[in-house]
Amino acid sequence: MSTTTTDLAKGPKDNERLAKIDFKMISFTLAGRDYGIDILKVKEIRKAGNFTKVPNTPVYVRGVDNLRGDIIPVIDFRTMFNLPAETKDKESQESIVILRLESLVLGIVVDTIEKVLGFASESIQPPHPIFGDINIKYISGVVENAGRLYIILDVDRIFGEPEEEAPAPVERASVSEHTPDAVPAAEVPGPGTNIPLDLQFVGETLAAFGQFHLSPLNRTWVSSRLQEWKKSRKDRDLDFQLTQKDEAEEFLVPFASSQSGRIWTSEAVSSFAGLLSFNSSPLVVWNPGCGRGYEAYSIAMLLQAHFSGKAYKIWASDNDLLSISTAPSLILDEDEVDPSWKNFTVQSKHGLQFNSDIKARIVFEFHDLNHPNPLSEVHLVVIRDVISYLKTSDQDKLLTEITEKVRPGGYLLLGTHERLEHPEWKSVGNETWSVYQKI
Amino acid sequence: MRVEYINPFVEAAYNVLTEVLATDVKRGNLFLKSATKPVQGVAAIVGLAGEVEGRVLFDMNKQTATKIASVMNMEELTEIDDLVKATISELANMITAQAVTKLHELGFKFDLTPPALITGDNMEISDQEVEALIVPMETPHGSIEINVAVRERS
Repeated sequence: MSTTTTDLAKGPKDNERLAKIDFKMISFTLAGRDYGIDILKVKEIRKAGNFTKVPNTPVYVRGVDNLRGDIIPVIDFRTMFNLPAETKDKESQESIVILRLESLVLGIVVDTIEKVLGFASESIQPPHPIFGDINIKYISGVVENAGRLYIILDVDRIFGEPEEEAPAPVERASVSEHTPDAVPAAEVPGPGTNIPLDLQFVGETLAAFGQFHLSPLNRTWVSSRLQEWKKSRKDRDLDFQLTQKDEAEEFLVPFASSQSGRIWTSEAVSSFAGLLSFNSSPLVVWNPGCGRGYEAYSIAMLLQAHFSGKAYKIWASDNDLLSISTAPSLILDEDEVDPSWKNFTVQSKHGLQFNSDIKARIVFEFHDLNHPNPLSEVHLVVIRDVISYLKTSDQDKLLTEITEKVRPGGYLLLGTHERLEHPEWKSVGNETWSVYQKI
Repeated sequence: MRVEYINPFVEAAYNVLTEVLATDVKRGNLFLKSATKPVQGVAAIVGLAGEVEGRVLFDMNKQTATKIASVMNMEELTEIDDLVKATISELANMITAQAVTKLHELGFKFDLTPPALITGDNMEISDQEVEALIVPMETPHGSIEINVAVRERS
C-alpha cells in the first residue's frame, strides 16, 4: 500500500492527494532509525554545541543553551531512551530540534535532521511495539513515506509535567559519554507510579553511593526520611541533595532495623514471638543476610524460649565472607545476653559462646542470594535490611522465590522500615516488627 | 556453602601446593559462582559424598598442567601425555584428601571418589542447582582455580 509522498505532484489525481496533506512533521534520525515530530510543536532547528552543564540533573539533560537570550534546557533523546549515541567531541556542533510545547521550550539533540514531510493524517498507523526502541506510550503513530518508516513521537506525553509519568531515569552512575555499542541499564521506578522528582534523585544517589535501591518496599520510609532530612539540612544551612558517599550513609543510618548488630533483648524476642504461631514440627527457618550471626542466634533463643517443644533448623547465610566465617564461633558480650538464656551459653577460652546444642541447630553458609537455593517448605524467613540493598529486578526475583519457598501459614520478617504489598502475603505485624503471613 | 567447609579446602590447597612445588603460592579472593563457567584446558574432578553431595574441580590451562607435572616428576615434560594426566589427578587427590581429613577433625564426615581428569579446549562447566565457591591459587607456573560445589544432604 503506498502512501502519499512529498514529491512535486503532477496531474489532478496527485493534486487531490496533495490537497489532503493535513499533517506535517520534521523527520530526524536516532540510532539509525527514522523519527518524526509534529511540525506545529517545532519552533526551529539549529546546530549548537558546548552546552553549559547543569549539576545534579539526570544523565539525559545535556545542559542549557542560550537561544537568542532565552535559556533553554537541552535534552539528549538518545540518552533518554537508552539508544546508542555517537560520541562527539565537546567542541563539535550537534543537531538540535527546538520544541515549543504548551508550557516549555526545550531543545533535543538528535543524530541528523532530515526534512519536512507532509502527508494525510489518515496514513498514520497506530504504533506497534515492534517498531520502536522507545516506550510505546511516547509514540503517537507510525507512517511510511518514500519507502522509509517513521515513528512519530508524542512530545507532549514525553515532556509532560513532572508529576505525571516521567521517562525512566538512567542510572546516574553510568558514564555520560556513550559509544555505539555501550547501552546503560536503566533503573525503572515501580510500575505505574508517580514519583516526585526529588525522591527520584535521592533514589538514584542512594543507589550510586549506598547500594540502596528505592522500591515499593522502602518508599514510604525514604519519603518520610527525605522530609525530615530536608528540614534538618535547611536548619544547618546545607543543601539537601546527596552528593557524597558519607551523606548517603548518614541519610541511611535510621533505616537499620531495631536490635540490629546485637543479640536481641528478651523483650524484643517476646514481642516478635507473640506475633507467630506454629503448629507443625520440625521448623525450617531461613535467615539470609545474617551478617555476623546475631539474628540467627536470636531466632534460636526465640524458638527455645517460646516454642520449646519443637525441633528446628536455621539456615543462615551471608555473602560477606568475613562476617559469616566468624558466625559459628561468635563471641558474646556478657551484658547483652539475657540471664534466662545463660544456660544455652558456655564459657570458652575466647569468651562466652552459645553451646554446641544450639550451634548444631544452625547452619551458617557463605551464599549469594542471587544464586539458586535448595530450601523448601520453610516456616519462617527472617530477611531484614537485605532486600532493599538489592537491585530492583533482583528484589522482585527474590520476593517471588521467598513466596514459593514458604509454606502456607508461614511467616516473613522484613526490616523494621520495609513494607510489603503482595497478594499472597497478609500483614500480621506492627510498627517495630514488619511481619507477613503467607495466605 | 557451609562456612566451616571453606577453610579446610583453602588450607589444604595452600599446604599441598607449597609442598609439592617447593615455592610460594598465593591465594586470590574467594568468590561464589552459579551458572556456566569456562574451564581452562585441564580439569581434575573429585566427587564428594557423605554428609554432603557435590564435587571439587581443579582447573588450570595446559601449560600450567605440564609445568606442574614436570616439577612433581622432576623431569622435563612438554605435552599432556599419560604421565602428566596421572600426576595432575594425583595432585587433585592429595588436596581433596587433606581437606577431607581436616573436615573429619571438625566433625564432618565426607567421602571422596577417585579423580577424573578432563582435557580439551573451549570447555565449560555448569552447576544449575548448586552454588560453587571459587578459590583462585597463584603459582609461579600459572594459576589453578579450585572450584568446590557442595550442598548439604538434607
